[in-house]
Amino acid sequence: MRRSQLLIAALCVLLGLVAPLIVRSDYVFQVLFRVSLFAALGLAWNLVGGYAGQLSLGHAAYFGVGAYGLALFSRAGIHPWPALFLAVLLAVLFAALIGGVSFRLRGPYFTLATIAFAEVLRLGAKNLVTITGGDVGLPVPGLFVKSFGRSLYLAAVLLTAVALGITAWVSRSRFGYYLMAIREDEDTALSVGVNAARCKLWVLLISAALTALGGGLYGSLFLFIVPDQVFSIDISVEMAIVAMLGGAGTILGPLMGSLILESAAELLKNLFHEAHLLIYGMLLVLVVLFLPEGIVGSLAHRLRRKSAIAVTAFKAPGTVPK
Amino acid sequence: MMGARVDHFFSAVQAILNGLLTGSLYALIGMGMALIFGVMRIVNFAHGAFLMVGMYATYVLFQRTGLNPYFGFIVAAIQLFLLGYLFYWGLLKRIQGQSDFMQILLTLGFGLILTDGTQLLFGADYHQINLVLLGKNLHLGRQISLNAPWLISFGIALALGALLYFFVMHTMLGRAARAIAQNPYAAPLMGINVHRVQAFSFGIGAAAAGVAGGLLLPVFYLYPTVGDQFTLKAFVMVVLGGMGSIQGAAMAGLVLGVVENLTSLYWGNEWALAVDFVLFLLVLSLRPSGIFGSQRV
Repeated sequence: MRRSQLLIAALCVLLGLVAPLIVRSDYVFQVLFRVSLFAALGLAWNLVGGYAGQLSLGHAAYFGVGAYGLALFSRAGIHPWPALFLAVLLAVLFAALIGGVSFRLRGPYFTLATIAFAEVLRLGAKNLVTITGGDVGLPVPGLFVKSFGRSLYLAAVLLTAVALGITAWVSRSRFGYYLMAIREDEDTALSVGVNAARCKLWVLLISAALTALGGGLYGSLFLFIVPDQVFSIDISVEMAIVAMLGGAGTILGPLMGSLILESAAELLKNLFHEAHLLIYGMLLVLVVLFLPEGIVGSLAHRLRRKSAIAVTAFKAPGTVPK
Repeated sequence: MMGARVDHFFSAVQAILNGLLTGSLYALIGMGMALIFGVMRIVNFAHGAFLMVGMYATYVLFQRTGLNPYFGFIVAAIQLFLLGYLFYWGLLKRIQGQSDFMQILLTLGFGLILTDGTQLLFGADYHQINLVLLGKNLHLGRQISLNAPWLISFGIALALGALLYFFVMHTMLGRAARAIAQNPYAAPLMGINVHRVQAFSFGIGAAAAGVAGGLLLPVFYLYPTVGDQFTLKAFVMVVLGGMGSIQGAAMAGLVLGVVENLTSLYWGNEWALAVDFVLFLLVLSLRPSGIFGSQRV
């Protein structure tokens, strides 16, 4: 199952990479950019929320720091690419701080603490007018000069590929098994010698770095950012929905989640204009009620059960002779 | 020099009094959240949306029939009770026993549906109602004045808060709710119908948010996402008050109101919300049982 998920994911990335050969329209590029960006963000969230089971609703903090870091460092005269690198470092620093405080909390308290941190950053960006420009916003440099939209799209696809690679490694490595052990039962994991605090912090740092890269790309597309856009709780929620819809704790899940959610949102936005959040709400309720394991998770579950039945059917004649 | 100091003193007193007036409404919102959290361990992300629905309900009543918001909030309370009650039976009950995050996502989704549904129905425009009362002030001495609508809502909130406290502490249903909060496994063995009590508590909690919405209508702008800020504030109150203690949440509401008003006075309005969250994070990491003791609902 894992192998087939990896195969499909690789195929998706490949399709994503050759898409510019076929697609010409700027509008389609924008939609595709959003799909691949949120696939990468969903994968980043999935590392913390899906594999380690730490359900953050504050990832907008890292997203926003990525975008604002890029804007601020390049305003200080640094070339955009090194500036993006510095922004990612800054986000990792924030993640160490936020993780250090909030990982001491569990369950709903952890989730609430992550929201509070993201909100503090949003309000800081709004109110520290001399540094961030406040609600007026900041200009962001374009990361590419030539064929802007297409290059940004390809960068997003590459980010997705990197996030997929990390996820594939996590799903099979000792580190990843530690994370899953923490997710299933933190106290038991601690009792058998898993250093839960360190594992959780490491995975958050990785996730924050990926999220900040996504934030930088996003800012670079719009060339301008305001606090209520990049630090918004809607970003955190959307990342979580993408991963939960596709299937938290699976490799392919966030990819499918983003493909479905973002294209559906785009279609419905054209149909209903303002009501696309209504669709998010309904999707959330439906997923929680009927697909708690997500699309990929439920499919995997069903396939596993089927193969389990097949195995018993094969063995049955030997053990129970008629 | 002396006069300036006296002015400082009076503006601080004014801020504290205003804070208590705002805080009484916060207290009502926080008590509703604390009741829900105490009995069900559910973090209700739809709480602000409930408040918003209460505001719109009162607003529509005022526009259509001219009913004064200070009576209209009663209708809003009944509607919100039904909404919360039905939400419990229709959706929340189905995912009982699943992880906290599923409950968070469900209430979050329901809140989004309410908010965006309202936006579809009423548009995203800001509304405001004009009461004659709005310009009236009660003067205490030369320096201090209290705004009449805030004073009225303070009185109503205080009375309803006391009523809510009485309900939880001294009625059979309230006692059953506290029993469930104390031990959700033993409570049904003592003959308590857990689902009925939880549905009722959820309805009461939603109604408290709706009442606060109705009382806020005369003094606040009305728009579909108006409730969002109150959801986050309600969390802050529940954590400050000690998880699930309704009297703690009420105290925390008053404190929050005062802290916000003092912050606005000394650092500016834009920092008030940030101070809320910093307070929240400090309490959460230094004293997770809250600052008002650890007595549960």
